[in-house]
Amino acid sequence: MSDVREFLKGNEALAYGALRTGLNAYFAYPITPSSEIPETLATEFARSTFPDFRTFLQAASELEAINMVIGAAATGAKAMTATSGPGFSLKQEGLSYAAGMELPLLVVDVNRAGPGLGNLGPEQTDYFQATRGGGHGGYPTLVLAPSSVPEMASFPALGFDLAFAYRTPVILLADAFLGQLKEDLVFPDVPSPSYDVAWAATGARGEARHVLSSLHLELADQSRHSRHLLDKRTRIAQREQRAEEVGTEDAEIVFVAYGICARLARRAVRILRSRSIRAGLLRPITLAPFPERRVRQLIEQGRRKFLVVELNAGQMVDDVRLAAGGAANVELLGEMGGLLPSSLDLVRAAEAMAR
Amino acid sequence: MTAAAELYEPKLGALPTLTGTPTHYCAGCEHGTLTRLIAKAIDELGVRERTVMVSSVGCSVLAHEYLNVDAVQAPHGRAPAVMAGIKRVRPDLLTFAVQGDGDAVSIGLLELLNAANRGEPITVFLVNNAIYGMTGGQMAPTTPSGMVTTTTPAGRDPVTTGPPIDATRLVAAFESPAYVKRVFLPILPTPSPRVFNARGALEGAKAVRHAFEVQQRGGFAFVEFVSTCSVNWKLGILEAKRYAAEVLRPLFPPGLYRDRFAVEGR
Amino acid sequence: MTSETIVAGHGGQGVLELANWLAYFHLLRGRHVAYTPSYGPETRGGKVKCYVVASEDPIDSPIVEAPDLLIAMNLPSMDYVPLLRPGGTLLVNSSLVRDGPGRTDVTVERVPAVELASGLGRYVPEGGRDPSIAANSVMLGAALGLAREGPARTRATVEEVFRHYLTDRKAAYLPLNLNAVDAGFAFVVRSLLPA
Repeated sequence: MSDVREFLKGNEALAYGALRTGLNAYFAYPITPSSEIPETLATEFARSTFPDFRTFLQAASELEAINMVIGAAATGAKAMTATSGPGFSLKQEGLSYAAGMELPLLVVDVNRAGPGLGNLGPEQTDYFQATRGGGHGGYPTLVLAPSSVPEMASFPALGFDLAFAYRTPVILLADAFLGQLKEDLVFPDVPSPSYDVAWAATGARGEARHVLSSLHLELADQSRHSRHLLDKRTRIAQREQRAEEVGTEDAEIVFVAYGICARLARRAVRILRSRSIRAGLLRPITLAPFPERRVRQLIEQGRRKFLVVELNAGQMVDDVRLAAGGAANVELLGEMGGLLPSSLDLVRAAEAMAR
Repeated sequence: MTAAAELYEPKLGALPTLTGTPTHYCAGCEHGTLTRLIAKAIDELGVRERTVMVSSVGCSVLAHEYLNVDAVQAPHGRAPAVMAGIKRVRPDLLTFAVQGDGDAVSIGLLELLNAANRGEPITVFLVNNAIYGMTGGQMAPTTPSGMVTTTTPAGRDPVTTGPPIDATRLVAAFESPAYVKRVFLPILPTPSPRVFNARGALEGAKAVRHAFEVQQRGGFAFVEFVSTCSVNWKLGILEAKRYAAEVLRPLFPPGLYRDRFAVEGR
Repeated sequence: MTSETIVAGHGGQGVLELANWLAYFHLLRGRHVAYTPSYGPETRGGKVKCYVVASEDPIDSPIVEAPDLLIAMNLPSMDYVPLLRPGGTLLVNSSLVRDGPGRTDVTVERVPAVELASGLGRYVPEGGRDPSIAANSVMLGAALGLAREGPARTRATVEEVFRHYLTDRKAAYLPLNLNAVDAGFAFVVRSLLPA
């Protein structure tokens, strides 16, 4: 482990984290507030400091970018793109195809306020689009939610591990706050792993050839493929639910929050505990699969009050309520438009619920 | 006068780069012809083991069923971007796509033109049959004015839908492409009922090979094949060939529009 | 021990730079730091407000809601005075702001940053910009003077901060900025001395 402490923006940290895990290819269309990602990668590409980094290309559109990522990923390369809300909408076509073709790749969405052009402030309004699969057809989704600059740096490695393990696209859902936030960090010494890419399309040798297609014209073929994707979704849901917890063991009220909201909730937990209210935090690290098992276990252990804090009109709260199955009181504190609630807002809402 | 080499009797034959799967193409469709020309060129160049084709959306959507090579499926219109992604990480591979007029010139025009402008070392084969075949005969960007399609029942009106787009000249408008060529592909009837003029297929064979050679030398290659769609034109096969010669050939003149590496000038 | 700062001003005053330097200073002193830039769409002229949090412990929230220190570079920045924690400090660029804080439970340090910087013309490289651009460094020096971490240690760390950020074309401005920090530091340390 190197002990060099860096001081980087979330977007910059994410770019370096990807490079340090052996990123081969980056294609993207610039969009605020994610532009530091391509800018950092373009600089490093020009410097040739990362030997695995074979390609940086600014695409002519979001569609071009995601399809270039598809092409590179089809050869077994570690390929990534990054965007923000409006661009993430355009990426959905490619994500559907990539999921159908079972291609491992990484798509970063630095969530800004919407709908439409919205503004450049932070929101978490792309939660549904990311976790449900915003493209057509049904397909498994794997969504990671960093909550700090060090996690912006380390999640690309985790993302590629999962993408290649399950041969599926992985979405890294950040928000505009995390993208612009600068924090101190030490890059973990991650190896740049080589994954099994025997499935890749790199030229047919002998009789064996690889056709990566999402087209299954025979109804029975498509049904089989869809079931295969469903099995994958189930496997991912069983094995990959991840969450971090603070003080949930004795909490009378549990915040559920991710991304920048989880940081606010941490502060609120501290304030509430100083006021003798036993608050806790369940922070989903995987938004898909949602850590519903932990929600159910917490309820079994006697937790009955959950306060979901998110930057939207209520999206993740649905997943918490589904997991709770009516066995707990689940309330929402939502904020929109690029604004954040204050930690005092969280404290007040929790106090009202705790009463 | 017709040279002996241009007289061709259609026959089937196995090639290493053909899977042998019977194609779904309609009788008389040039997609079948082009499939064979591509297989032949890959065999002649000995590049099958490092070829990755990109399947587009349209009548060529199943081309990977017939061509015995590795393949990646692109969303509708995005094949040039997928090819660019492949080549940027694996310049050693050969990649190509067979795109229809709707795929390349309508929904995928941005991808085509930007790949052309960047001079991506990829090969695009455009089958221009002036209509949407796979979806059942709707207007294409290349549909001639006046042609009746299912979405232009009174004939294409250039005032409301624009005139047909000349993709070859669009691509050739950029400086970067290394090889831009248009071939009139349909065989044409001759006075003898069993003899056909196959000049288009012979020229097409050369163009396919040249396009691959240009890619191997790092250039962007684009070949448009003016073709027929007798089913959706609602004409007989031979009538369609004649219609193509009379209407499409003047509209989309065959010829060499760019040959930066002088592959045809040797 | 956690310190929370808001740095505010308008675009072109080097507010983001000042906040970033302050954060990096704390990082070099072994602290965890979080710095949040927030700015309008314009590079020049827009309203700018940044958060700097520094702590010996991991930082829970990077958002500053009740700052210990407000560095107000212009008049609109005084809008944030009500947020100051009771007992907190308002460090104000008195070259541009004449108003008082309107509250008695905070300490006010008035630093004529533009005037102090303008007196440093001899450190500007040949043909360089007006020395008043270093007003942000004067305020950095003042903020560090208030932190009372000792002049020698502070000076050594500030040098390291500038060596990190003032590179290439900006390297020529290192003497100007260092002297501006010294001026700001000396100004508040003097004013903190009993009369």
